[in-house]
Amino acid sequence: MPEVLERPETIESTALDSPWTTIVWNDPVNLMTYVSWVFRSYFGFSKAEAERRMLQVHTEGRAVVATGPREEMERHVEAMHDFGLWATLSRADA
Amino acid sequence: MKAFRRRGTSFRAEFEPAEASMLASLAGQVAELVGTRTDDGADPAVVRLLPDAYPDDPEASREFRRFTADGLAERKIANAGVLAASVADAAGATSATKVTIDAQTAQAWLRALTDIRLTLAARLGIEQDEDLGDDPLLRDLYDWLGFVQGSLVEVMG
Repeated sequence: MPEVLERPETIESTALDSPWTTIVWNDPVNLMTYVSWVFRSYFGFSKAEAERRMLQVHTEGRAVVATGPREEMERHVEAMHDFGLWATLSRADA
Repeated sequence: MKAFRRRGTSFRAEFEPAEASMLASLAGQVAELVGTRTDDGADPAVVRLLPDAYPDDPEASREFRRFTADGLAERKIANAGVLAASVADAAGATSATKVTIDAQTAQAWLRALTDIRLTLAARLGIEQDEDLGDDPLLRDLYDWLGFVQGSLVEVMG
């Protein structure tokens, strides 16, 4: 006998939503050593990784520093504004 | 000013009275600016201190600002207060005075110095890496603040 009372598939919208990114933008004010220090102390990047992302900000004008749920990225952006870095969030596929 | 050095878990620099007074005064001005701000985008310094979170979505940026700006502003004012308090003795002294700050105070210093430099840069019209600003005295001050901050970042490691 075929199964007629199949449980309908539920879609976890949060899991399937495209993730968001935290982006730090270049600015002419913040010292490169300070930006690198913020990346290490806040995101826990290694010294080499922090330097790499800081240089990416400096040379390319911006760098993605985190990817994940929107609420988490908003917390990161607020933390960056606390440090005085220029940060925004966008959809990862934008 | 003598650059910051690590002293155990603390950091120590030496400031002339005029330098310490200047730091306290600038910190007070930033606190005043943030405390009396309007979020209407009219002041470029305020826009830079509390920037839009969503570059292409003014509505989402407004919403983000509604939930975060007051808290951010309070913390910026508190950081400025910590900076001003730690140089108060040096500002009232008659000769160069050592200023020792612990790790937590140093966190406030870095943020407060950043906010001061962002504000000065907005007043100087520094928008690109190569911009020098059009006021040599303010520019010297801006560079000196960069030196103070850089020396602190270096010893915090």
